[in-house]
Amino acid sequence: MQITVFAGIDIGSYEVGMKIFELSSRRGMRQLDHVRYNLELGKDTYVTGKISNEHLEELCEVLLDFRRIMQEYQVDAYRACATSAIRETKNVLLILDKIRVRTGIDVEVLSNSEQRFLGYKSIASVEEDFRGMIQNSTAIVDVGGGSIQISLFDKDVLVTTQNLRIGALRIRERLADVESRTMHFASVLNEMIGSELRSFKKLYLKDQKIQNIILTGDYVSQFFRQHAKEGRAAVMSRKEFMELYQKAVSITSTQIAAHFGLPMEHATLILPSLVLYRRFIEDTGAESIWLPGHNLSDGLAYDYGERKKILRSTHNFENDIVEAAKNISKRYQSSKGHIAGTEYLALTIFDKMKSIHGMGKRERLLLQISVILHDCGKYINMNRTAECSYSIIMATEIIGLSHREREIIANAVRFNTREFASFEEISYGSSLERSDYLLIAKISAILRVANAMDRSHDQKFKHVKVTLKEKELVVLVDTVADITLEKGLFSDKAEFFETVFSIRPVIRQKKQL
Amino acid sequence: MDAIDVKSYEYYTNRELSWLKFNSRVLEEARDKTIPLFERLKFLSITASNLDEFFMIRVASLKDMVNAKYTRRDIAGLTPQEQLDQILSATRELLDLQYSTYSRSLLPLLRQHGLLVVQEHEDLTMEQKIFVDQYFRENVYPVLTPMAVDSSRPFPLIRNKSLNIGALLAKKAGRSLDGSVGTDQASEKVKGKEKKNKEREQGPELEFATVQVPSGLPRIVRLPDEKDGTQVVILLEEIIERNMGQLFLSYDVVCAHPYRIMRNADLTIEEDEAEDLLKEIQKQLKKRQWGEAIRLEAEEKMDRRLLKLLRRELSIKEDSIFEINGPLDLTFLMKMYGMDGFAELKNPRHVPAPVKELPGDCDIFEEIRKGDILLHHPFQTFDPVVRFVQQAARDPQVLAIKQTLYRVSGNSPIIAALAQAAENGKQVSVLVELKARFDEENNIIWAKMLEKAGCHVIYGLVGLKTHSKITLVVRREEDGIRRYVHLGTGNYNDSTAKLYTDLGLLTCSALIGEDATAVFNMLSGYSEPVSWHKLSLAPLWLRDSFIQLIRREKEHAKNGREACIRAKMNSLCDPQIIGELYEAAMAGVKIDLIIRGICCLKTGIPGVSENITVRSIVGNFLEHSRIFYFANDGQEEVYCASADWMPRNLDRRVEILFPIERPELKQEILHILEILLTDNVKAHVLKSDGSYEKIDRRGKISLDSQEYFTQEAREKARQEKQELPSRVFIPEEHIEE
Repeated sequence: MQITVFAGIDIGSYEVGMKIFELSSRRGMRQLDHVRYNLELGKDTYVTGKISNEHLEELCEVLLDFRRIMQEYQVDAYRACATSAIRETKNVLLILDKIRVRTGIDVEVLSNSEQRFLGYKSIASVEEDFRGMIQNSTAIVDVGGGSIQISLFDKDVLVTTQNLRIGALRIRERLADVESRTMHFASVLNEMIGSELRSFKKLYLKDQKIQNIILTGDYVSQFFRQHAKEGRAAVMSRKEFMELYQKAVSITSTQIAAHFGLPMEHATLILPSLVLYRRFIEDTGAESIWLPGHNLSDGLAYDYGERKKILRSTHNFENDIVEAAKNISKRYQSSKGHIAGTEYLALTIFDKMKSIHGMGKRERLLLQISVILHDCGKYINMNRTAECSYSIIMATEIIGLSHREREIIANAVRFNTREFASFEEISYGSSLERSDYLLIAKISAILRVANAMDRSHDQKFKHVKVTLKEKELVVLVDTVADITLEKGLFSDKAEFFETVFSIRPVIRQKKQL
Repeated sequence: MDAIDVKSYEYYTNRELSWLKFNSRVLEEARDKTIPLFERLKFLSITASNLDEFFMIRVASLKDMVNAKYTRRDIAGLTPQEQLDQILSATRELLDLQYSTYSRSLLPLLRQHGLLVVQEHEDLTMEQKIFVDQYFRENVYPVLTPMAVDSSRPFPLIRNKSLNIGALLAKKAGRSLDGSVGTDQASEKVKGKEKKNKEREQGPELEFATVQVPSGLPRIVRLPDEKDGTQVVILLEEIIERNMGQLFLSYDVVCAHPYRIMRNADLTIEEDEAEDLLKEIQKQLKKRQWGEAIRLEAEEKMDRRLLKLLRRELSIKEDSIFEINGPLDLTFLMKMYGMDGFAELKNPRHVPAPVKELPGDCDIFEEIRKGDILLHHPFQTFDPVVRFVQQAARDPQVLAIKQTLYRVSGNSPIIAALAQAAENGKQVSVLVELKARFDEENNIIWAKMLEKAGCHVIYGLVGLKTHSKITLVVRREEDGIRRYVHLGTGNYNDSTAKLYTDLGLLTCSALIGEDATAVFNMLSGYSEPVSWHKLSLAPLWLRDSFIQLIRREKEHAKNGREACIRAKMNSLCDPQIIGELYEAAMAGVKIDLIIRGICCLKTGIPGVSENITVRSIVGNFLEHSRIFYFANDGQEEVYCASADWMPRNLDRRVEILFPIERPELKQEILHILEILLTDNVKAHVLKSDGSYEKIDRRGKISLDSQEYFTQEAREKARQEKQELPSRVFIPEEHIEE
């Protein structure tokens, strides 16, 4: 049996953890080890914006030891990821370099959406009940140290996902002064969290009734798991939750630690999380709370297994990304028909051009998302659509996409109508590399052509046949409509396409009998 | 019934007094005429070394409390001062019994069997005197360091536990500088003397001198045999005492007597302040010799002036002076036990039986995969445990070995195997507990050796002693990683494994394996796992686990279901657990305890502990295994642990409780408990008045549990051997005409 040993390292805001897994196609994922070390990096970041040298040194020590443990299992591959505690520091690159030099471990900083997507992926893939559950309206609430992520599902599809910067550690640190001055810390917390949640509720929970809540986020869900009733360890009813809540808010952190058998560092994080959950459960009226007990490391391992084709999931994650994009497009009232038409055209061209552009499945997805989002800027300004679409995309998290991917999409959309800029101009102030620049050009070129073919937004190009003939890409349109407009404006777009691929796109109308 | 407060003082025995009773039980073995003579010497020696340690640790800390004016009462309601008073008077009784056993029973018997111990040098014959004096000149004199005391020389520091001879000297008239050992001292003394003129006028000036009996020389010196073949020995201090004059040539020896002091050795490390635990312990080790003197032993007939002087100089209280009627420090009897010959007066050497599941050349991992294996030492050999590590060190499939080491023997094959494993490229992590009492020096040496070999060495945890005995072997097999675990009740010490009764479990249960990994993660400073599958650990969870297990029995009893607790351990003195046991017993749980040493629980208290029995087994082997059985309404649960029911085990140490789940092994443990509870030879039963009594076995078949287990283990091993050839038919050989 082919077995791959993988280590997922998660540098979180209050804990550095590593899980070691065996991955095999026959048995799936099997956790071998889970090492956790308390290190409140977020305490530095959220207050000073920097990570102190002492903490960095401690982190390096831990990572060095993780290396030793990885050797113990003769790990085949690893992935080390950092989240908000490092992401939000001012000197990210210096920190990463220092870690690399000291420990030989390459740490990658995940964008929030990547992080959450990985976490969500692990739940969706590992837990069999997940599919059934998200048939009904379900929210995944992932509480981290820095922020929380709320993802709503309905009928097997991701409806929306939002990030709120009210993570347990951040709240604790922000209210550290208040705690000593009040007897009713829980109500202060409640007030603060309530105000943050209010806008979310207004936007997304208007007429939505949530039935299930999936709680993830390391120790908090672990804490609940320990106190969920025996036998059905992973599920808790609303009533059971409230009982636990009552028990916990009436005592101090020290008592929580003693009573629930938790380390003190975690006990102080329990209260903010509890208040947050209660608030959310009350606001949504959810009846059951589900505790899968996974964290980012599971997601990393799963993602690795999936990419290496060791693991296969029944859930279509790409679909989640597409659905999330469609929801954004819907929010900005893009024309559904135009989007669908352009998507069809763009993807058809993409598939036909495979041998020429050399792009893969993931790039196809980026193109698809670019198409879906290219028009959303219209909502703000009809004349500067591309610029506004760019801004919207850059400001909107799309679960499952990395920051880099999102930047690629935003740029591809931005140069949909504008003249394409130089690498220096595009990469200025961002981390995009030359290869990304080329990708932007390629996606943008296809988007332009596809978009031009639906210039009228009337979906005249419903049935096309695309063929590659020497230096020409022939788009044969089967339509009775007048396509003079499209044809007329096409040459402009075709030029850029030709510059990029050295192939000239040509429109031909199928002769109607 | 409701009015019973299980916390009342009256329901508890003071732990120190209970310990002294344990030492008396060991002494009883020394007095038992049915036991071979030399074995009795050994037991007597053990009572002496036990008592030394007891003073150094327990009495010393009580003295600290008294000095600090600490008056809190113990669970039995005694203040430190009250405890001390009772301990000292009980100790005197014990000493009397020790020495009357020595001189009235053992010495005459030794004489009968051809070994004469010359008690005092005055009793030597002329030939013997000549022999002894020559021995002194050739072997003893060169290594002695006599020290005299006067105003210019302070009282020397007397080493802890060392045997010394103190003397009072008077200056010889008309003699001076003669080039002897005392020369320098004598010339120095000239200046000091002027001041003392007054004293001299009042009588002859006596000076104090002392010499340490060298610990490097044999305490027992053999003299030429008597004509009838009787072996003759004398103790070294007698030889020195006889030749005291040789050391101080310009003086007359007025009197010379052996004495011995005990110092406060309680090793308390200020861990918060210590930068490096290792350094701190090394420092403490040097300090240990010079703690406050807490006991002075002196020969009974010691000159009063000498005794007074010692008392003053050592600033020791009257109640801490013990005048001894016989040789000081009876631990020399262990050396006497080791004398050649006298085989008929000793037990035959114990040879542990092989383990039938694990024959010498087997693949241990393969055997473990067939099912968990229980080892019962010293009846069964400790070999498989050593081989487990050795095989892991060589096995190319093994990725990592992790082990906790507490007390390891001098030349441990386990340490060698771990070092070899590291050299073979395995990841080896070893937790070396430096805080093992009196073994620190030893531990540091081989910890460094392991580090050199490339092992990852963890030097214990701040504030906690790692007392658990666990080994984890991570092996990469065809179907993935598999973990093999050994869990034990005794240390990884191949020497004591021949003397201590202990249990060990070899398993490759995935859940125990996961827990074992989590144990080592925690020991390396990582956070606790989210939950435990099978193991329970002190100091965080073990106490609660035990309490829950006891309470569950209580609930069963209350509801008329089957409820019974059987537990075996070294000591029981945790007040909370005892309280829970009382409550369980009051609810009707039948509780049978087998507790070798301290037991603060009282039996037979009306309405409280009538359902509880306690017995103590003191035999050839030191009872050391910890077993816990809970009837649990028929769903019997059996556990073993590294921990006693003592606060230090439950609160200040890393300990592991592990379940025995394989049905056959469960039965085996139940059988072991059954035999222990049936023992009527070596078992002492705790009576309601706090005394221990041996069982009246008139009309009953004698059962010595240790003897029984020894035979049983041999038979088991033999069964397997017989079975094998019985399956093969052997053709008759050709008969030659």
